[in-house]
Amino acid sequence: MPHRPDGYHQMKDLTSLREVLELATKFEITARDFYTDLATKVSKNMRYLVEELATEEQEHVELFSAMLRRKDLAGTLDIKVERPASDRKFSDCVHAPDLGENPDDQTVLQYALKREQIAMEQYRTLAEETEPGPLHDLFQFLANEEAEHKNELEVLYYEIVHSGGV
Amino acid sequence: MAINDVLSPFRGWKHLFNDPVSIKDPINREAADRYRGFHQNEIQDCIGCGTCEDICQNGAIDMLPVEGVETVEGDSGLRPRIDYGRCCWCALCVDVCTTGSLTMSNLYKWADSDGDAFLFTPGVDAKEWDGEVRGYRRPEGYSLTPHERVEMREVEPEVRIENFEEIAAGYSIEEAIIEADRCVECGLCVATCPTHMAVPDYIAAIRDGDYDEGLRILYDTNPFSQVCGRVCTHKCEDVCATGHTGDPIAIRWLKRHITDQVPNERYAEIVGKPGPATGKSVAIIGAGPAGLTAAFDLAKAGHKVVVFESRKHPGGMLRYGIPEYRLPYDVLDHEIGVIAGLGVDIRCDTRIGTDISMDDLKADYDAVLLTIGLHLGRSTRIPGTEAKGVFKAVDLLREITNGDPVRVPKQAVVIGGGNVAMDIARSLARLQKQKYGKVDMTVTALETLDHFLADADEIRECGEEGINILDARGPQEVMVSRGRVTGLRTWAVTSIFDDIGRFAPHYNEDDECVHPADMVIEAIGQMADVSLLGEDLTEELEWNRGRMLIDKAGRTSLPWLWAGGDAVAGPDVVHAVADGHRMAESITEAFATVEGE
Repeated sequence: MPHRPDGYHQMKDLTSLREVLELATKFEITARDFYTDLATKVSKNMRYLVEELATEEQEHVELFSAMLRRKDLAGTLDIKVERPASDRKFSDCVHAPDLGENPDDQTVLQYALKREQIAMEQYRTLAEETEPGPLHDLFQFLANEEAEHKNELEVLYYEIVHSGGV
Repeated sequence: MAINDVLSPFRGWKHLFNDPVSIKDPINREAADRYRGFHQNEIQDCIGCGTCEDICQNGAIDMLPVEGVETVEGDSGLRPRIDYGRCCWCALCVDVCTTGSLTMSNLYKWADSDGDAFLFTPGVDAKEWDGEVRGYRRPEGYSLTPHERVEMREVEPEVRIENFEEIAAGYSIEEAIIEADRCVECGLCVATCPTHMAVPDYIAAIRDGDYDEGLRILYDTNPFSQVCGRVCTHKCEDVCATGHTGDPIAIRWLKRHITDQVPNERYAEIVGKPGPATGKSVAIIGAGPAGLTAAFDLAKAGHKVVVFESRKHPGGMLRYGIPEYRLPYDVLDHEIGVIAGLGVDIRCDTRIGTDISMDDLKADYDAVLLTIGLHLGRSTRIPGTEAKGVFKAVDLLREITNGDPVRVPKQAVVIGGGNVAMDIARSLARLQKQKYGKVDMTVTALETLDHFLADADEIRECGEEGINILDARGPQEVMVSRGRVTGLRTWAVTSIFDDIGRFAPHYNEDDECVHPADMVIEAIGQMADVSLLGEDLTEELEWNRGRMLIDKAGRTSLPWLWAGGDAVAGPDVVHAVADGHRMAESITEAFATVEGE
């Protein structure tokens, strides 16, 4: 049976921005598909939450795909980058989670928050480990994107869980 | 008569087209520094309360809308316009001004050929005396009404901690009249009150000693006046005009005073009778303040009303969430009894979705109203919260109300900074005192004390009762040893909101505390149990971000179903009352429309 590399080993072998972006795209696609599938299973009163998360992930998929296609980044895509310490956590999230048969809104939000945290740490580390320049700016941009999304989810979490749910 | 005497009146006509000959400064003398001249108004400080208009004996002041000044909570958006043809310069308007924004310059001479110019809005229509520092201002510390409110007498902390008896004693007639006299009748409170209680009118009834009239006014807008006189969130007091320079009027306590003064047996007569039967019927799910207010209105409109309540007694969170030391059960029972007295059929121990289906209600009644409250507690879900010694506050409060045996902890920590957190901490503290002779209770919350959701009174009374409140602590783990809770581990919260006020907590992990406890109680938030709807109805309904989609009147996307109260609008008694009114009105209108067709 041929060896099929898992997410961790894929990340371990990363040597370029291209591969970072490709794995990041997978990371987002996994989440998008997970939320899209979950939306059909949860009750209607919390479907908005799952659908919003799916939409958000789709936007990130499009962002990464567009970056891979950008001509001005073509020369940058093959620049070697250091493998960040947060790789394992990040690559673990390339796999869909098991939140049980009928997760409630709090479970879904906690999962989403954890993902955003991991992604933010990943891009922030990559930014810290690259010299100032376009590549550094790109990772910083991605880290900020994830941080912004995480902030929005925290607001929602506070509203739903800490403020009477209304 | 000489010929001149005949002609002289006609000679005056030669001045017909001349400018008037008023002399701008005939005396050429400066007024004294504190002379009462033309008015000034700091327009941003003015709240448009209209007290100046009310006190003016000459009718020289009119409150009018001003471009650029919006009507917001606590500001009517109106500003005083003064008619100097009527003003007698008495300065009562300045003396009574609740914010001190209205003053008078010492300028008193002004000639103008346009008579309408003497009708202007100080602070809006620019005048040469704007900014003049000389003139008349209300002397520092002087006020036509007392700044301090009459304090409510309370049972001493060392006595009340022993039991669940009501803490607030209520005003005496003398105290109430003194407090009522402080009201300037501006009515800003009426706009802020969700159910628009006619506050100045019922306060006036206290001054008149006409308590029957006072109760009639209260019940016009609020069939839970006894309740709200005790536990209302009283946002009306936040906008009270007298609060700008002193204590706001104790509106809540005055409301309670009226209800205290009217004997229970007089209520039914004052409240009135149900309307003539219309033949229409309404099923209400949940006997909390929203559902029972709707029941009150619907019964008065002549509809048949049946209220289904899953618990043993009606009242919802008023009974099962608010401890008896704040709201005695006999007060609640009496108030609900008034509603039942209108012919409202309250069926307790009946759970919709189990004992009776939603389909049955839809088939058997002309309208169904859902007021199910927020009875499920949320959990932080930090590690350890699944342990046996971790409870949700709403569950414990319900058990205490039911008289169920409650495990009394020797040492407990509550997570949360809202009223529910205070309620459970204070209830368990009383049980601790009864069982162990001492209180050992800590409340921790993410928020800093000034951001606690709990009422300031609740927080103060907690402190008085020996409860330790630790603000800005983020729970990290419930400590468990051999299956038993041993404490709560927290980190200091360095900030909870970001620059634009969004929730974004940051912790100082180096500032870690373990609060020893054999019980941890979570009081962080609540949610509605919508499982009674069932899958099909849940799918059929439209939702708005987790809540049932309703219109302004509380009607859902289904024409036979209305929803309101805490489950839809958030936890607050007086908002629930307002919701109840809106839904009842909407249902009655819907019946009329159907009849019309």
